[in-house]
Amino acid sequence: MLRIFSEKTIHGVEQSGQFARFFAQSVAASARNCTKLSSYSLMWTQMNIIGVHSVPVIMITGAFVGMTLAIQAYDQLAGMGLEEHLGVLINISVVKELGPVLAAVMLAGRVGGALTAELGTMNVTEQIDAVRSMGTDPMRYLVAPRFLACVFLTPFLIIYADLLGILGGSFISVVQLGINSRAYWQFSAASVDFWDLSIGIIKGFFFGGAIAAVSCYKGFTCKEGAQGVGQACTEAFVGSFILILALDFALVVIFKAIYSTIWPTRILLL
Amino acid sequence: MAEQSEQTNNSILHLEKLTKKFGNKMVLDDISLSIEKGKTTVIIGPSGCGKTVLIKHLIVLLRPTAGSVFLRDKRIDNLPERDLDKIRVHYGFLFQGGALFDSLTVFENIVFPIQQHGIRAKWNELEELVKTKLALVGMDGYQNYYPANLSGGQKKRVALARAIAMNPELILYDEPTTGLDPIRSDIINELVLKLQKELSVTTIVVTHDMTSAYKIGDRIIMLHNGRIIADGDVDHIRNHPNSIVQQFINGQLSENDLAALRLGGTKFQPQFLPRDFE
Repeated sequence: MLRIFSEKTIHGVEQSGQFARFFAQSVAASARNCTKLSSYSLMWTQMNIIGVHSVPVIMITGAFVGMTLAIQAYDQLAGMGLEEHLGVLINISVVKELGPVLAAVMLAGRVGGALTAELGTMNVTEQIDAVRSMGTDPMRYLVAPRFLACVFLTPFLIIYADLLGILGGSFISVVQLGINSRAYWQFSAASVDFWDLSIGIIKGFFFGGAIAAVSCYKGFTCKEGAQGVGQACTEAFVGSFILILALDFALVVIFKAIYSTIWPTRILLL
Repeated sequence: MAEQSEQTNNSILHLEKLTKKFGNKMVLDDISLSIEKGKTTVIIGPSGCGKTVLIKHLIVLLRPTAGSVFLRDKRIDNLPERDLDKIRVHYGFLFQGGALFDSLTVFENIVFPIQQHGIRAKWNELEELVKTKLALVGMDGYQNYYPANLSGGQKKRVALARAIAMNPELILYDEPTTGLDPIRSDIINELVLKLQKELSVTTIVVTHDMTSAYKIGDRIIMLHNGRIIADGDVDHIRNHPNSIVQQFINGQLSENDLAALRLGGTKFQPQFLPRDFE
């Protein structure tokens, strides 16, 4: 029993160390790629696959989040005669938490799964070894363009999720539930400030990096055969999901500390 | 008894007491070997004996657990990846399944190493180069095909064209005829001979196809359980006294194993089974 526990612990520590090393190599390769014009074409291709093709699903995710929040919160607020404040609740929730996190989870499924499957298949069919055998660094050729595309485009995708979340929430609130449009937007505009919006978008850089790093790592280290690739895809999604939630928690704590340092009086007023 | 080869003045690659373990499993056991420049060396042995692991050490796609790899007189197994990238330009490697990039066309696959090394060439020069390389392997006209639209033999020929795109000094072949019918296997054998003759390259082939080994090999090395058990020219191997070598090259089980196999039961333990199954 103790032996199994210790073996699993050692394995976990080894895996964490290997992942940390892989992440550091990804960041270094990405930084080098940024300075080379010739590598930009690879990045554009990945940006198209990872970013542009994800816009529709991200917009649908955002819209449903906003609409669901409106339906869920209306009864409680209407019971207190505060239904015109519904926009505050919806929009704060969407731009600070639900938009970024659910957009990132959707990306982990759509993009992360595809990255792991593609790189995993390349790994088991020796294509990654082929890249190395021709004197090319696979971190620079395969990982860096995907990493950069995820890091730079996840914040933009979060903006799309936020936008559709806000529009979806307002559509249900104003059209379906009959809340006064002017009051809805006035209360929303007064409560949601630039800080709320920006922390959601800043989270996107971290979530994008986490999705790319976990997915590429799982692809590079996947075991032989179809089962190995399938298992790597599952592990990549679960790993990305957990990392997104953990990063979200850590970032909320950090941003709250920064906020209270810059505007201590506003915290007290709230 | 293991046979070991000494480093000679004409050797281009040299392995010194190379050992490779995966976990507790010993795959290569204290191998010392010199590869002669301009010759074709064939490494034979049963499946799972460590042939592919050995050939991957020659280009340092795998790092040894112990021992060293020398290219000419320079030790290369301890170099960082960035330095190895410069050295690997001198190699061409034909992988067992071809390992062509699925997302790229045949043309893009062949220009890949050229573009990655920042070699500036005009488009028509690249087209001419790809045409020449494909013509060498009899695949000119397939430039715009994707690997998925090619047969197994065609993939290997395109992969061979890609391997020689940078005019390497050494070409390594990992089971080039595996999975091909006898005619297509012979096409690959003829290509290996043709490239060796026309490009004067050093060729190292890993195979368990004895027809291929006899046809292309100047020297044949047999691996068994991670050790070299035979090393010499074709005649030396054909007349080798070791019963394991004779069984392998003739494709026959020993009388005892054959009898046990026909009878069934648990006595069947042929000596060719890889160590981890023993």
